[in-house]
Amino acid sequence: MAAGTQHIAAVSGVGGASPSRAGPAPRVSLKGIRKIFGSHQALRGVDLDLYPGECLGLVGDNAAGKSTLTKIISGTYIPDDGTIAIEGKEVRFSGPADARSLNIEMVFQDLSLCDHIDVVGNLFLGREISKGPFLDTATMLAEARKMLDALEIRIPRLTAKVEKLSGGQRQAIAIARAASFNPKVLIMDEPTSALAVAEVEAVLALINRVKAKGVSVILITHRLQDLFRVCDRIAVMYEGTKVAERDIGKTDLEDLVKLIVGEGSKQ
Amino acid sequence: MTTYTERAQGSAAADFLAEHAQVLSIAFFFFACLVFFSATTDTFMALGNILNVIRQAAPILIVAVAMTFVIITGGIDLSVGSQVALVNAVAAIILAMGYPWPLVVIVMLAFGALVGFLQGWFTAYQGIPAFIVTLAGLSILRGFALYLTQGYSIPIKDAPGFFALGRGELLGLPVPALIAIVIAVLGYVVIRATKYGRQVVAVGSNMEAARRVGMPANWIIASVYLISGVACALAGLLIAARLGSGSSNAAVGFELQVIAAVVLGGTSLMGGRGTILGTILGTLTIAVIGNGLILMHISPFFTQIVTGAIILIAIWLNTRIFTTNFSFGSGRRK
Repeated sequence: MAAGTQHIAAVSGVGGASPSRAGPAPRVSLKGIRKIFGSHQALRGVDLDLYPGECLGLVGDNAAGKSTLTKIISGTYIPDDGTIAIEGKEVRFSGPADARSLNIEMVFQDLSLCDHIDVVGNLFLGREISKGPFLDTATMLAEARKMLDALEIRIPRLTAKVEKLSGGQRQAIAIARAASFNPKVLIMDEPTSALAVAEVEAVLALINRVKAKGVSVILITHRLQDLFRVCDRIAVMYEGTKVAERDIGKTDLEDLVKLIVGEGSKQ
Repeated sequence: MTTYTERAQGSAAADFLAEHAQVLSIAFFFFACLVFFSATTDTFMALGNILNVIRQAAPILIVAVAMTFVIITGGIDLSVGSQVALVNAVAAIILAMGYPWPLVVIVMLAFGALVGFLQGWFTAYQGIPAFIVTLAGLSILRGFALYLTQGYSIPIKDAPGFFALGRGELLGLPVPALIAIVIAVLGYVVIRATKYGRQVVAVGSNMEAARRVGMPANWIIASVYLISGVACALAGLLIAARLGSGSSNAAVGFELQVIAAVVLGGTSLMGGRGTILGTILGTLTIAVIGNGLILMHISPFFTQIVTGAIILIAIWLNTRIFTTNFSFGSGRRK
């Protein structure tokens, strides 16, 4: 499988703290991204490359700029400076719809679900199947069941309003929505924070599965042990900058923790 | 040995009750009012009276259906009474100039759309709270109506086709009531079964989520005020056709009746939750109470007190008894 060999090439052809590779061109390439909110410099010039079929772990303390960076890739925020290139072509998003049309999907930390709409409606939010102006509820219901079954997500009643569901079920719906429409880039901001053991396993399995299909994944998580099970590379953010990039084989928990809290430079 | 069992699925009846508690409670209240007034007056259930009630309720129902859309997006339109009055007055002025009535109807509906869109533009694209935009609209539009008519009532003469809109009957039903029923059915279908309706609910439920999945959130917000403007124009025309005149003093306090009807129907002022069926029942409940109290020979001044008290009680029952996990306050949003 092409994606599999790419994956191996990506892992083997690297070395050092800042890996350079001769493999495939990056799918997403960020250069000098800056974002300022009022007087707060959220991002101070971040470069980041994301390759097809890899999972990049994005770690850092709270307010390090992880969420802001991923929201820029998903078009939710517009950067003040810097460039975004998707598959070599420079793009300028004017909103989330632009990013979505390039198959960039994101699971937001706040999940971005509509509480008053049922499970099916939330899964198809923004891409409702319709016959003329009318919603095709029957088709969407059948498709939604297939989507959830494929991800081994168990929700008994798909016509229940999302507000009635547990935190874990809500999170599962947000993940299913992002993962089910053939994304090329899948960004997950704390996707496992409210999930139970079996569900976390399912999400990690999902990440490995979509990776094998060539999807580029960005995973933000505070559960560092998860990173070692799915990620190929880890980027560490600190105070709005990227301070380190590590290949997963060349780092360990201790090293990561030091980098996150800012003791990496003292080594 | 541990045995694993699946949790039983909740009963469908309980799910149904929980999901439709709002509509069921207002339906219960409506039928209680019907029974009460049938028992206490001789004339309430007479066909003539029933037709009269629905004829008078028609303009409120038309605007309440549009207001349901507005409130589902989390907005409010306080200017509906003034919009009705302005259309009412302008229509009479143009008819008095001798223009044919079908043209006047079309022009007035377009005018309502324009006025509504202007308010929607300020709300959606300029980020001014709907309460403020439409409060300004309430004052400005009523002012225009007063200025144009100088406070006088403008008679409409020799337009039998136009009068039929307000006074005529078709299949034994008053024409305004038929129009209101068509609008209500249309509103019901749009909110329940169309992509646009889904977008309206999504924007009201979680605007940022709707934006993030690529919905044209600003346009949807603006569009509900446009719909409200068209509905007000239609209501203004029906009132002019029924009374045979246009007046800047038409529909005073109309916005409060409309908002009361919508809220009584279980639509949440916080947005996201609302049904057209509830709005229909809310409108009819208010109309029936007003009518029934008059038939009981209770002072008309007393009607306002009773109507207000019933709104408070009905919604209190709704929030505290019929549903345990529902509240109007800030606790709604997590």
